Amino acid sequence: LCRGGLAERLCRLQNRERSAISFWRHQCISDDKIPSDKSGILIVKILEIFEECTIQVAICQQLEQSPVTLSPEDAVINAEEPILKVLFTRETAAHLKSRPQDVIHIYPPWQKLLLQNADVPVIMNTYFSQKVLLSEHSEAREKTYGLTKMLIRKNIISLAQTFRLDDLDDKLHQESSDNQVACAPQIHNNDDSKQHPLALSAVNDSLLEMVESQGAVGWREVQVRVVIQRVYCLPAREWCRSHTQGNKPLCATPVMNSDPPNVRLCLLVQDAYGMFSEVQLQSLSSTDDVEQYCRRWEGKSCCLAGMKILQRTTRGRALGLFSLIDSLWPPVVPLKVPGQSQDSEMMTTNLPPPSFCYILTVQSGEIHVEVDEEEQISNLYQPPAVHGLKEILRIDGCNERCSFWAQVLYQRLQTKHNVPIDQRDILLFVTDSTLQNVVHGIPKVVAVSVTASCVLSMQIREALSAGSRLVFFKDALWGNGRIICVERTVLLLQKPLLCLAAGADLSELTGPVRLDELDSTTQANSVCALRGTVVGVNESTAFSWPTCDRCGNGKLELCPQDRELLYCNQCSEVVTTPVLKMQLEVFLSCPSRSQSTVKVKVWQRPALFVLLTMLLFLQTYEVQSVLGKEVGLLNCYVHSVTSQSNCVALEEIVLL
Amino acid sequence: STLPAVAEELLREIKKAFQESSHVPDDLLLGLKFIFGPSAVPALDLVDQRCVTRVTAPSGRTLYQVLGSSGKLYTCYSSCHFCTCPAFGFSVLQKSESLLCKHILAVYLSQAMGACQELSVSEEQLTNILLAEEEDEG
Repeated sequence: LCRGGLAERLCRLQNRERSAISFWRHQCISDDKIPSDKSGILIVKILEIFEECTIQVAICQQLEQSPVTLSPEDAVINAEEPILKVLFTRETAAHLKSRPQDVIHIYPPWQKLLLQNADVPVIMNTYFSQKVLLSEHSEAREKTYGLTKMLIRKNIISLAQTFRLDDLDDKLHQESSDNQVACAPQIHNNDDSKQHPLALSAVNDSLLEMVESQGAVGWREVQVRVVIQRVYCLPAREWCRSHTQGNKPLCATPVMNSDPPNVRLCLLVQDAYGMFSEVQLQSLSSTDDVEQYCRRWEGKSCCLAGMKILQRTTRGRALGLFSLIDSLWPPVVPLKVPGQSQDSEMMTTNLPPPSFCYILTVQSGEIHVEVDEEEQISNLYQPPAVHGLKEILRIDGCNERCSFWAQVLYQRLQTKHNVPIDQRDILLFVTDSTLQNVVHGIPKVVAVSVTASCVLSMQIREALSAGSRLVFFKDALWGNGRIICVERTVLLLQKPLLCLAAGADLSELTGPVRLDELDSTTQANSVCALRGTVVGVNESTAFSWPTCDRCGNGKLELCPQDRELLYCNQCSEVVTTPVLKMQLEVFLSCPSRSQSTVKVKVWQRPALFVLLTMLLFLQTYEVQSVLGKEVGLLNCYVHSVTSQSNCVALEEIVLL
Repeated sequence: STLPAVAEELLREIKKAFQESSHVPDDLLLGLKFIFGPSAVPALDLVDQRCVTRVTAPSGRTLYQVLGSSGKLYTCYSSCHFCTCPAFGFSVLQKSESLLCKHILAVYLSQAMGACQELSVSEEQLTNILLAEEEDEG
């Protein structure tokens, strides 16, 4: 059972109730008198009994006083007395062995429930019930009824009768509150007003205690002091993916989000006992703020109050979260030991990493996180360990979080058109000095896959498309020979203030970037350089198109006013001097991969310009004039490598 | 019949209490135990662990999938009380001993407390979930 959950709470209440019931029953047996204190005791006379499922329903008349004091003549049904429906559990009913006309005393605590469309109140929790026999008739009755077993009618409940939980007025908003965005105001830091809206109690240092106190009196006021280990954003879609267990994974399609992007700022925090928790804060209006929050908050202490538990998750269910937690384990300072004095601490070298983690969220409308921005970085904080790409490629293991600083050379967007741009996977080709400065044995450029679950700010997206930028990849995942950016990975333009450079050479790249040359090991979806001689031309692929001379937009349109002129949508202006771009597929013979047919779509080579011009405009050309022409060094993206036809299809690219 | 109306009112009270204070008072929890007996604690556990998903198709058809404690996924209908778990077949259908199984109760409690996960699927996917149950029988 979840610690601090409703099930655990009910278990505790139930155990207490059971003890109370058996104690009471025992007392009843030994003490036969009707207690003089009648407060809260419900006295009823059973008129009719029937069963529904295992509950016994008794239609009863409520009596004012104990009928023992009345004469038998008075114990006649008085039509004025209120009617009740009293429910008994199977166990209580077996104990009571009630019949119509029996008088039952129901001791507190019992519960009354008023139904919406019915006049008759219902009495529940009737564990403390006792049959009271009218002393004058008791023996006679026992003799008559004691031997015959009464048949009780059982109602079979229809399955078609479902429960409607919403009133007619609030039928509109049936969305679960998990999906609702808590638009809380700005999170305070200590500079702002010091008033506390809640009367907060003394600060605790245990997350587990805070979680366990949920539901108890005063839980909202409990404060916990924790260290912020990581700050990142999570997309809302994250929450739909939890059901991929069992034999049949759900065919989950991501919920298409409309704007604003449903992205939440999250903190991975750790308390002094080593326990982790992921705190999901408000949704961000602009993802550009993440970099700010990372700089200001990572490594600092903060106080959490009035958190709501969203989920208790385990290693098996949240691999992404736990790969991040593992990268922060073991802690760098000794941990406190629960239950012992402040001074005793635990050395952490052999402690196993955590197997569960609570995911908390803020109550909407209230401010619950106070970060000590002015304070020093906590000792417990573990900044990301930065490595050179060469070292990362050599890591042994799967699902390891790694951080590095690299230059982005080329970007390729996944081509699924029915997926919005911000949800497409991106393939980045990156390098650093550790890869460039090596002679051979390892690749010069590495592919980094950015999945849609990794939240990218607009700033980063622009930077990736625009220029050759150094980007800091924080907590990317390495496994199966690939680096991927998933949820909880953050891409930043500035190196964080604090990071462990574990001997990595983070110097700037000197000289032009070199790609690996095309050879027999080159695979699809990679980049390479090649050189060769033209052995053939695919005339049908010759193509030319005008582009905007200001922004390079290749999709110009005809001007509505003057069909002779071209118009650029992105610049919103007429293009007077368009730049003509041309494209052609040529077949090359490359010495580095001489066994294969190499087919390259080129569009940047002035050497072939003449050929293209001839092909497209003069409609004649001399193949001889191009055969044997040397082409090199081309930077290309490898589309496909087909082993059957031994053909490699590439496209010329321009590095950023 | 009385019991369904009582159960419905109890669940409504829980929803109201939860909407007002994000908290379910002890007496309502005990009421759940009284009415639903041994299903109450397991159902609450399923809610604590967020095991209930409301699956919706564009046509508006919905059903619920509950991840049981064994890791098996059970399907509960939204228009009538039905669940694909064996306990439902035995306790509810055969013996008429319970109103609901713990999975259906977990669905109602998750609705009341806003703890349902949401999943949008295509019509075809919804059909597959419904018809997939037939493969298991026999």
